[in-house]
Amino acid sequence: MAAIQTVNVAIPAVPSSYTTPSAPSTSRLSPPHPSGHRTLLPVGPAYVNHLRLSLHHAHNFSSLDKHLEAERERLAAINAVANPEVDDLGVGSEDEDEEVLSLDPKEWKKHDYYKVLGLSHLRHRATPEQIKWANRKKVLKHHPDKKAASAAPPSDSAFLAGVNLNTNDDAFFKCIAKAYEVLSNPEKRRQFDSVDPTFIDMEEDLPSEKEVKSKNFDFFKTFTHVFDLYSRFSKAQPVPGLGHIDSTKEEVEGFYDFWYNFDSWRSFEWLDKEVNEGSDSRDDKRYTEKKNKTERARRKKEDIAKVRGLVDLALSADPRIKRIKQQEKEAREAKKKGVSKTGPVKKSKAEEEAEKKKLEEEARAKEEAEAAARAEAKKAKAAAANAAKKARRQQRAAEEGA
Amino acid sequence: MSKTATGTSTPSAIEFNSFAPVVGINFGNSYASIAVLGKDGNAECIANEDGERQIACAISFHGEETYIGNQAKAQLVKNSANTITDFRNLLGLSFSQIPSPSSPPTSAPIIQHPTQPDTPAYQVSVLEPAPSPLKSTANTPAATPRSEPVQTTRVLTPADAATIFLKSLLTSAEAFLGKKVEAAVLTVPAWMSPAQRAALASAAKDAGIPVTQLLEEAAAVASTTSHTTWTDGVEEGTEIGADRSQLVVDVGATSSTISLLSVRQGLSYVIASSTIPQGANAIDDKLIKHFAADFTKKTKVPLTVAPAPASSVADQRAEARLRLAIEHTKRTLSASPGAATCSVESLKDGMDYTGSINRMRFDMVAAPVYSAIASAVVELLASAGVDSKEVGEIVYVGGTGSLPGLDERVQVTAGFEEGEVVTPFSRGIVQGGGIGDPTTILARGSAIQAAMLAALPSGTAEDKELHDVILGAEGEQVRKVKATTRTIGVLFPVSEDSDVDGQTRELGGVFVPVVQKETALPTRRVVQVEVALPAEGEKRVCLEVWEVKEGIRIAPSRPRTIGRIREPALRPTRVSTRPFL
Repeated sequence: MAAIQTVNVAIPAVPSSYTTPSAPSTSRLSPPHPSGHRTLLPVGPAYVNHLRLSLHHAHNFSSLDKHLEAERERLAAINAVANPEVDDLGVGSEDEDEEVLSLDPKEWKKHDYYKVLGLSHLRHRATPEQIKWANRKKVLKHHPDKKAASAAPPSDSAFLAGVNLNTNDDAFFKCIAKAYEVLSNPEKRRQFDSVDPTFIDMEEDLPSEKEVKSKNFDFFKTFTHVFDLYSRFSKAQPVPGLGHIDSTKEEVEGFYDFWYNFDSWRSFEWLDKEVNEGSDSRDDKRYTEKKNKTERARRKKEDIAKVRGLVDLALSADPRIKRIKQQEKEAREAKKKGVSKTGPVKKSKAEEEAEKKKLEEEARAKEEAEAAARAEAKKAKAAAANAAKKARRQQRAAEEGA
Repeated sequence: MSKTATGTSTPSAIEFNSFAPVVGINFGNSYASIAVLGKDGNAECIANEDGERQIACAISFHGEETYIGNQAKAQLVKNSANTITDFRNLLGLSFSQIPSPSSPPTSAPIIQHPTQPDTPAYQVSVLEPAPSPLKSTANTPAATPRSEPVQTTRVLTPADAATIFLKSLLTSAEAFLGKKVEAAVLTVPAWMSPAQRAALASAAKDAGIPVTQLLEEAAAVASTTSHTTWTDGVEEGTEIGADRSQLVVDVGATSSTISLLSVRQGLSYVIASSTIPQGANAIDDKLIKHFAADFTKKTKVPLTVAPAPASSVADQRAEARLRLAIEHTKRTLSASPGAATCSVESLKDGMDYTGSINRMRFDMVAAPVYSAIASAVVELLASAGVDSKEVGEIVYVGGTGSLPGLDERVQVTAGFEEGEVVTPFSRGIVQGGGIGDPTTILARGSAIQAAMLAALPSGTAEDKELHDVILGAEGEQVRKVKATTRTIGVLFPVSEDSDVDGQTRELGGVFVPVVQKETALPTRRVVQVEVALPAEGEKRVCLEVWEVKEGIRIAPSRPRTIGRIREPALRPTRVSTRPFL
């Protein structure tokens, strides 16, 4: 494959008056140096390609290109087979940008741990194995001993010339360690996920009443997204989905049932203010504790209210609810109408009524039959008892007589 | 490469555990160096057991000891009769072909071999250990003491000496790599005849080196400079184009070679080359004369050096001592711009000497040698018909090549404008063992070539064939190619009233060269340009293909070269225009 040279020359547009000049038929390219005039130095891959071209491909560049491409692929396949990609559990490799690298470990509470570990595409969905794996990758990359051994990238300042700026700079390493500490502890991770800043950003975009009532409101799209967002906080997984326009009554009712009884693990301890442990005053500490407690309760209440409000909104805007209510109403009306025999009822309703009547009649008949059977049985029993009594009387009489 | 039990090689991934078993050896007349290929694909020069990267080509016999390398060179002071130097240039020559020396020899003299006719040889006296006493059948209460070692003479041909030396290089290389060397490439100067090359190859084979190829020194330079690492780290603005003309200044010990190479996208060939008999030794002579005069001035002890008279042994020894000392002086001067010292203990008559010299003084002392080299450059460019403007890069080879004074003199004399030609000095890569280090270029190029050749047979059957072609006799034939004589390019026409510089107006358009002259054929070039489309009217792009004659125009107002002007050749060729939409 020939290397493409890019020429950085500004080439103006061709003038409109330009016409193709004609070349005389005798024009020729100058003859090259005759063969044997120049002797190539037999070094380098370029020479090998030149040989390939001359000996194997008869000076045909496209044929050589194809051959080289096939060679490249063959080598790539061999190398891939020899070094199989170690399964990285879907973590991928995420390079840190500058601001992440310059995080101050003292401000650890404000860091985005998923970004630090390179899991910003997974966030709360990352499994513990993935977190472990990502942590290992980052540690290997940013370990301070490794950094001190390698050379730092040259800085522009002449003042710092010759100074290895990488010597044991472990600030980022501390951030990684803290991030792993938090994310591997399930309790702490839960607290961190509860106040995930990306989630809070998304919370700002919840639909309002006005939006819901507007014309082009896509109920399913918006609310599926919204309920997906909140489903992460559910203790009971998997969370029933919103469904689609043709979901059955059971599904819809199940959905709303679930969301009205939503059990969320979200808690707001992460946003607690620091208790001043060094202070001797008990009141000071108690004051902070109390404030934290009230803040937590307030936020949780807000959260619950938000969710509840959301579910109410969904319920009010849900097109399926209307349909289901309609169905129920009709069922009730049909039932009512089915009791009175006269009355113009719909055909289908008539059939239903007829069926119902049949069933009722059958049931009645069955009952009557049973009652009759019971009565008969009773009679039979009474008759049998009477007969037995009679027989016994006769026998006694006979015994007495004899 | 893994091999199955049956001996066929399975196509496994090319893996090198830390170092590949290939080595590149630069075998010069006075110094040799070894390079190996690291795992990142970069070749590096390695040090031998004494810690020297530049190993002196000298063998010395002192009593029962044999010294090779820099320690042998130190023996030149008191044991010069048993020290052998400069043996590489004698390989393959018969005794009658060797010119008789002009000055009294400073090392072991060359004599006619006692037994082989018309063969040069060295005769050295060594102490052989006495033969061990025969085991006697009778029981003796005490062991027979060994007798004293015996003084004998040993006769070595230059080939024997070369074998001993190369064997020591191989040992150093294998000690470094930790495994046996499988492929090696040796450098050979261009002036060596086929017989001499054969002698070198057989000496290497006797030393146990598996020589894949004997590479010419110009080819070794091309191997290094067309490697991808050569253009790494080039700053913005200094461009090393893929198509360029390269001037190689190789300053050896006894001679200097100037070559003009045409490098075209990795394919290089020599346009012209010349050799002059001045080299580092000439600079050394001037320098020791300077220091000797300084010594005499300080201590009032007369000292004649370079050449030291045959009658005065003290002067000869003093000269040898001085030569050893100025090695350090020159290296210090190359490395730092300040002053360098030259200190010798007991130079003559028990008097010590310490002197210093700074760069400016050094350049003045070495000026005649610098001018000789610079004039050789000028002559070469003139004979090749190449102007200094057309040379894009200068590469220095050899320890003396790291002297900035030489670079300045060459540039000024040959008419290179500052900032127009790229040198290792302008790139700042001369020092620190970097990629431009003139002492390591040849060895590294050989190592890269050795690795490439070793990798070829492991590929397809076609690659094996290529390997044989490169090294076999057929390779000589394939190397001869045709080359272009004129530059071919593309002309984008512009209107007469547009705002362009004089050259573009003269040509009738913007000229973009695509295929340079002196490009080996067959060749292919792909160029990407951005062309503006006309604002109104038909949207079209038109271009013409021209072959141009290039020359240098000197403006009459200022009698200095101001740039290159291309004129379309008087016979335009295949002009084609295609309207694009």
